[in-house]
This record gives sequence, C-alpha cells and structure tokens, in this order.
Amino acid sequence: MQHKLVRVLMVVVLLAMFSSLAAAQDKAVVTWGFWGSPEEAATHTSVAEAFMEANPDIEIEIWHQPWSDYFTSLDTLWAAGDGALIPDVLFLSPPIRYAARGVLEELTPYIEAHDYDISDFWPGLLEYGTTYDEDGTRRIWGFPRDIGLEVLYYNKEIFDEVGVAYPTDDWTWDDLLAAAEQLTVVESTGRVSRYALGMEGGKFALFVLQNNGGLLDDMRNPTTCLLDSPESIEAVEFFAGMMDNNYAMRSANLGQAGGDAAVFQSGQVAMIIQNASRVSAFNAAGMNYDVVPVPIPADGQRAAAAGGAAWTMSALSDDKESAWTFLSWLQSTDGGQGIYTASGEILPALESTALSEAFLGSEENPADPPANRMAFIIEGRNAKPGGRVAYFPEWGEINGNYVRPVMNEIWAGEAVPAEVLPGVCDDVDAYLAEMNAG
Amino acid sequence: MATTTGTARAGSDLPQVVREPVNRTHVALHVLLIAGSAVMLLPFFWMLSTSLKYPPEIFTYPPTWIPNTIAWDNYPNALTAVPFDRYYLNSLIIAVSVVFLQLTTSSLSAFAFARLRFAGRDKLFTIWLATLMIPFPVLLIPNFVIVRSLGWYDSYQALIIPPAFSAFSTFLLRQHYRGIPLEMDDAARIDGASSFRIWWQIMLPMSKTTLAAVAIFVFLGSWNEFLWPLVITYRDEMRTIPVGLSKFQGQFNTRWELLMAGAVTAMLPILIVYMMAQKWFIRGITITGMGGR
Amino acid sequence: MRSNAPVSRMERFRLRAGLGRWNPGQQSEAWIFLIPGLTGFVIFVLIPIVMSMGVSLTKWDLLGPPEFVGIANYVELLTRDRVFGRVLVNTLYYTVVIAPLQLGLGLTLATALNQQIRAMSFYRLIYFMPVVTNIVAAALVFQWLLNRDFGIISSIIWDIAERYGVPVQPPDWINNPIWSKPAVVLLTLWKNVGFTMVIYLAGLQGVPEALYDAARVDGANGWQRFRYVTIPMVSPITFFLLVIQMIGAFQLFAEPFVLFGGEPPQSTLSIVYYIWQNAFEFFRMGKATAIAWLLFAIIFVVTFIQLRLQRRWVHYEV
Repeated sequence: MQHKLVRVLMVVVLLAMFSSLAAAQDKAVVTWGFWGSPEEAATHTSVAEAFMEANPDIEIEIWHQPWSDYFTSLDTLWAAGDGALIPDVLFLSPPIRYAARGVLEELTPYIEAHDYDISDFWPGLLEYGTTYDEDGTRRIWGFPRDIGLEVLYYNKEIFDEVGVAYPTDDWTWDDLLAAAEQLTVVESTGRVSRYALGMEGGKFALFVLQNNGGLLDDMRNPTTCLLDSPESIEAVEFFAGMMDNNYAMRSANLGQAGGDAAVFQSGQVAMIIQNASRVSAFNAAGMNYDVVPVPIPADGQRAAAAGGAAWTMSALSDDKESAWTFLSWLQSTDGGQGIYTASGEILPALESTALSEAFLGSEENPADPPANRMAFIIEGRNAKPGGRVAYFPEWGEINGNYVRPVMNEIWAGEAVPAEVLPGVCDDVDAYLAEMNAG
Repeated sequence: MATTTGTARAGSDLPQVVREPVNRTHVALHVLLIAGSAVMLLPFFWMLSTSLKYPPEIFTYPPTWIPNTIAWDNYPNALTAVPFDRYYLNSLIIAVSVVFLQLTTSSLSAFAFARLRFAGRDKLFTIWLATLMIPFPVLLIPNFVIVRSLGWYDSYQALIIPPAFSAFSTFLLRQHYRGIPLEMDDAARIDGASSFRIWWQIMLPMSKTTLAAVAIFVFLGSWNEFLWPLVITYRDEMRTIPVGLSKFQGQFNTRWELLMAGAVTAMLPILIVYMMAQKWFIRGITITGMGGR
Repeated sequence: MRSNAPVSRMERFRLRAGLGRWNPGQQSEAWIFLIPGLTGFVIFVLIPIVMSMGVSLTKWDLLGPPEFVGIANYVELLTRDRVFGRVLVNTLYYTVVIAPLQLGLGLTLATALNQQIRAMSFYRLIYFMPVVTNIVAAALVFQWLLNRDFGIISSIIWDIAERYGVPVQPPDWINNPIWSKPAVVLLTLWKNVGFTMVIYLAGLQGVPEALYDAARVDGANGWQRFRYVTIPMVSPITFFLLVIQMIGAFQLFAEPFVLFGGEPPQSTLSIVYYIWQNAFEFFRMGKATAIAWLLFAIIFVVTFIQLRLQRRWVHYEV
C-alpha cells in the first residue's frame, strides 16, 4: 500500500515538474530597460503588467536604473563587450547614436512584416529614430515614446492678482513682453521677488527657430553654423534682453533655485516654457494654471522640437519576435501609449492617442488640468524635423564645448550676443570642417 | 550625551593634562567653536527642515526654518518608496567587509613600507601612491571588464573585493608607523620577535587612533560610493543606499523632501561609527604617551 | 623647544648604525607582508590603469571597437583644445587655494579640539558632520543658501537692506565670475575640513605628553609648544594630508554642480569634469583617458617634488 502511494506521489511530482518546466520553456522572456523615479517606475510596472495580461505567453523582466546614470551603465555594458547583458527592449535617447554603431536592431523589417502604422506619429517625430543610407534608404531604429514639445504654462492666480488678461493661443512675443512688464515685481532694494518668465537657457533654440534663424544648416550632414545670422542673433537678444530687464530669471539662477517647476509652484515666476512632463507635479500640488502654445514673433513660425526618448530593440536580443510584440504594443493607443498618457506624465508620440480620451478627456470623464490641452495638439501638428534636433552624434561635443559655454555667459549677462555669436560660429565651423574632412 | 561624560572621565585619567581651571582662553575658544559650529550645522538644519516639509513649502520665500506643518510621513514614505531596508543591509554588509579587509591589507603593506627594508621599496611605494592620481571615470570600464571576467557581475564580491585595496589607507598608515619610535622594534627584535609579532603586538596596538581614523574614512567612502555599485549591479537586491537615493532625482522632477529624509536616515550609521571611533582618540593618548620617551 | 630635534637625530644615527640597517632576511619577509595588498592592487588598480593607458591611444566611442590613433589625442589636447586649457587653469586655482587652507584650518581645529575642554566630543561631532552629509543632499542646501533671489543667506542680506534702507545686495555667486570660484572653495572647505581635522586629531594623540611637559619646563608658551612640538611631531601626517589634499583638489569634480545646480558656469568647471564629459557625454573615451594621463603627469610631478622636499621638513623616526 505504502509503496504504491509513494510511487503515485513520485509520478505526480515528476509530472508537475515537467509541466512547470514545459510551461517555463513556453514562456518567452523579454527584458525591458528604462529609467525613472519611483512614481515613473510604478507606471512602467503597470504597463508591464497590462502587457503580460494581454500576452500571457510573454514574461517581462524589468531592468531599472536611476535617470542620472542610466546611460553610463548601458555604455559601460556595451564598452565592456557585454552586449548580451543589455535588455531586449530599452529606452534610449538619442537612438541614432546607438543605431550608427550597430548595437540596435533595425525596426523597418518588422514594421513592414507586421503592417505597423507609422503615419500616426507626429510630423517629423519618427525622424528622431531614423537614419538614411547614402542611397537614400530609410532605416527606422526607434519609436519615440513621447514628444518633448513646449507650451507656455501660466499661473492664473498671479494673472488675476495683477489684472493681466490670460495668454491666448495667438500670443506674439510682443504680447509676452507687455505682460512680462506687468507681472515682474522688483522691490526697492533691487531684489526681484517675482519674475514673469522662467525658461531654461538650454531651450533658446526654440526662440531662434521661431524667428526663422537656425543652429546649423543641416541637422544630419551639417557644414555651417547659423547662429550668427541676423535672425538668430535677434532671437538670442530677445531672450537675453528679458533676463537683463528682470522679466526672465537668469538661467543659472533658475537651475539653482530648484528648476522651473519649483519656482513656478512657489509663485516666484508667473510663466514657464516647458514640455508636458510638469503636468502631473502641478496637478498634484493643486495649482491653478493653464497652458497656451508658445508665443511666436509677429512674422515667425511655431518651432516645436520633434524629439523624444525612444523604445528600441537590442541587436543581441535572443527573442526578437517577442521583443517586437512588446515594442509595438508599447506604441499603441490601447497598449502602452494609452497607459502612459493616462498617468499624466507624457504627451504621447501618436497623434491618435493624443486625440483620444486618455489625453483630452471626455464629457463625462474630463481630463485633469490644464484645460487648454489643445495647445499641445497645436504645437504637435506644427512640429518639424531638424532645426532644433540634431541627428548626428558629434552634436553633443559641439554644443558642450563651443555653444553652451558661450550661451551661458550670455544668460549670465556677461557677454553680448552680437559680439560673441560670430566667434561661436567660427569655432563650430572649424569643428565641422575637420569632422567632414576626417 | 554618554560620550561627553566618557570624555570627561578619560580626561581625568591623565593627571598631567589637568591644566589651569576655566580661564579666559577657554571662554574665547568656546565662543569661536560655537560660532564655527553654527556655520557647520546650518546646512544640516536646512536638510532636516526640508525633510519635514510638504513639497509646496520647500521653495517658498522667505525660507521657513520650521515647517508650518511638520511632514513626519516623509520619512516612512521615503523609506518605503524604494526597498531601503534591503539597501541599508547591503550598504552595511559591504561597508563593514570593506573596512575589515582594507585595514588588514593596508596595515600589512604599510608595515612593510615603513619598517622593513627591501630592494625597490621606495620605487614600489611611489607606484602605489601614483595610482591615486588617475581619476576614476577612466578606470570604470577597465574595472568593469576585470570584475566581469571574474564572474562577479551583480554580486557582493564585486562590491566588496575591488574596494578592499587602497593606496590611501596604506599611505596614511605608513606615515603613522614611521612616526612610532624605533626602539620599540629594536627591543622586540633583541628579544627575538618576528616581524609579524612586531606588527601584531606593537604596531597595531600603537596605531589604534590612526586605524580608527582610517576605519571611519573607509566606512564613509564605501557608504557613499555611488557610481561603481550602480554600474556593477542591476538587481534591486544588490543595490545600495546612494543608488536608492538617486532614484528620487528624476529626469524632470526631484522629490527633494524624500531625498532629504533618505539622506538624513543614511547619515546615522556613519555618525554612530564616528562616535565609536572617537573613543579611541582618547585612549590613544595614554597608550602612545606611555610608549613615548 | 630645541630639545626635540637633537634627540631624534641622535636616535636616527643610532638606528642607522645598528638595528635599522638593511637586512637581507627582511627581503622575503617584506614580500609576505605585501602579498595580500599587492595581489588586489595589481588586479584591481594596476591592470585597469595599464588598460586605460592603451585606451588613451585610441579613438573609441564605447559602442564600436576602439581604433588606434597613436598620440593624436594628446596632440589635440596640447595644441588645439582650448577648453582643456581653461579647465586646467580652474583646477590649478582650486589646488593652490584649497590645499593650504584645508591643512591650516584642519590643524587649527584639531589643536583646539584636542584640549581638555567641556563638550569637546560634541564639537568634534559637529565639525565632522559635513563630511558625512550626502553630496546630493548638500546640493540643494547650498543652492538654497546661495541663490541670489530666494536663497537663505541672500534673504538675510535683502532683509537688512529693506529694514535699514542700506543699499547692500547679496553677491551674485553664480553669474559673476569673480564670486563663482570662491564659492566652490567655500563649499569644499565646509565639506572636507572635518576630514583633515580627524586625521590631525589621530596624529595628535601620537604626540607624547612628556614632550609638552618638557617644553613647559623649558618655559615655552602655548604658541611655542605648538610651533616646536606639535608641528614637527605631526609633520608625517601633514605630509600625508598635503599629498592627499592636492590629489583631491586636482580631482575636484562634483562640487560646481552641487553648488550651482544643473548649469555651473564655465569658470568653475574642473579637469575631471571635462574627462567625464568627454567619456560619457561626447563619447570620446580615448580623449578622456588622454586627459586623465596628462593630469596624472601633472600630479605626479607635483607629488614627486613633495616627496623630495619632505626630507627638509618632515620628521620621521626612521
């Protein structure tokens, strides 16, 4: 009797073991790499859970690093020749740098094989993850998750208190200046207790492009610097002038005061120009604010940057079909895009997601503030490739060594744009000449 | 305040140190030290204050030193937002192991450099010292390659063994050993003691203060190390406190109040180690004093 | 207090003549002592350094294979790179200013805190606290201390200006290049003076009380005891600190960020920051490593001079 029982038990145990093994082998595992704060990581985790519920045969494993050194970690893995440790699907910015070195899997064949609709991306946004061969063949390497375009946030309470009319969708630079004059508060001691505008100096190219100026002649194959053109200089002078007049907070002071979100929340600036990433923080703080498209010069143009960190696939992924299933699910309104958008953290890369209830809300289920969410749509539809977004890896060095230091001097009030920008262009042109020669 | 009384007692053990009763110099000294303390503590108070504020109050003007509503829940929130208990445990295991290993390897090497005579000693020491002069960012990848080839990626070995060797501690201990009177060794050698016994029975006991100082800094260095643990690990179970703290700094938003609460909590163990080590600073007087001339 | 030097010199003569002499038996013994440290040192320190020397001769963007370019990186740095010159000058400024201040303040503090006074271990704790503080947390604090518009120190100055109608304004630490480097120096001193203090405190415990007694018998006053007993007796520690502080100042890296948030002015950036930028922002690991080796050359020459000069002022028992 006992023997029989033992034998039956053994068979059961063995069967259970085999079936679990078989189940484990059936299940594809996709490793997924991203950065993020605990809150952002929580959203990512819920995305992974939603995906696994919809695709029970694929298991998502998470590889999470803090933002500050996410890229240092990844670059070290690649540099050490340990590409196999790299997650299958990962968040990268700018994806082209990695694509150029062959560590990413090209997505174009998957797009074609699976009929994935790429026309839904905002105009020019997909260029951020695209390269072109010399014969013009287009290769897509990454899907931007969101679009980092800016809008003008304004604090309604401050506008009410001063008695200035709220900004509108068709505000120009002149309107901005006129309001700024009224909103700025300088005390008798010389202390500025409230600035009208807070904007990071690093975003200056927005003004330059709006004013029909430019950084470089071509953002893929550059030959000439355009920062010394009259339009560019005028735009830089506009921004620097706002700082000299105390309308805008000096860029370095802004960073030192905790960043634009902090000073906007504490009422120390009345307006900021920034992307959608701030919305959830302002809502959590219960702020009374709204947004409009960024004001443009009277004869200028909208200049939203078509760029955003992108989902990519490692060239060394051992299950590329599963990785693609996950990646394309991430970039769908019913999948990842919808969940990220509903969390209030991003302006989605897909226009249809942005126009869906997840972003705009509905009658019975209104969206959180800001009320004028169409401002994002207006900017999105005007997004253009190039201009402010560089598609070649050397831009980091050009900007870091020759552009940014001088711009910072301008924002500090220590240099005059018309005097120093030609020098910047001399340096950049020399670098480009050497780069194109070598 | 147990340490304060401990100090006073230790002081009274030293008859020769008892000087003139409270005098004007001491009063002046106290005034200066208190003023200095205020400067040293100001940033820390601000940290503490921020760690007890709700976000809207963090950036107000004029700055508030005492929060309007004290946000005690920042502490539990910070400690649960990421698995800090595990990070704490990891940091402790790593720091204690590194201190132990580094003190052992360094004091042995330092003894050889300070007290033994061998060919190429000074050249070898110069190389040893020179390694401190290469900044870490360019050594990150070579180190990674080596540790990975040992099969230690994402393991305690990777976090403990490479930091266990330091030219810094060796240098400090060598300097200290060189200051210890040589007649101690001589006497021992005449009695037939081996070098190992001299190291163990003379050098180590006479270096307690310096060993304690080294221990503090090695512990501190390990406790605050950020880049190496970040790059060489990836599982949450292997992460350390500084990596955990850095998670509060997002790409766009930083949770200052949680970061501060986490940072304040992270300071406590090092302060405890420091207080413990301080006792050696007192006892050291008697030991070395007796050994003096 | 002249009694000290002759005694120890005599001691040294005695030792040279007798037991301290080079001893062939110690050769093998020394290696036994060195083996534990040496093994790890070779694997985790020396080999990576040699590898990095190789990297400095390549062009390497981390993702693809490195490409050998000879000394091109060094040539670029020494002939064409103007940023390198700028960050080098900043770094030299920090080194020359910080190291002596750090040592002077540290020894003064340690001496003060080595007295038998009330609340001594309390003071010792307080002066050490900045060393323990997490650097990222210190970041917000210092930014908020120094911010011109909304900062804490500024708020006091603005307050005085308003209340008494005096036309004073807080310094513009971040935008004015005259103030920005001293601000970095202040932060570094605040953060690290406790380190120097503790090492000196440990060193001071090794000074035999009998020497002070002898000095007192000779009629030496407080300053003379400090000058002729303390300073020579802690000189091995001073030498250690001088070397370590110089190396530390040469490698100053995070402080400008700590102080000025995300956008530190160019006038404050250090050479190690430029190394970091080249390695992980510009993806020029070869060039970054070449900078590191040039920095190494500079520090090594300075340290070598110090090693030579120490014979004139450092008082050893051997």
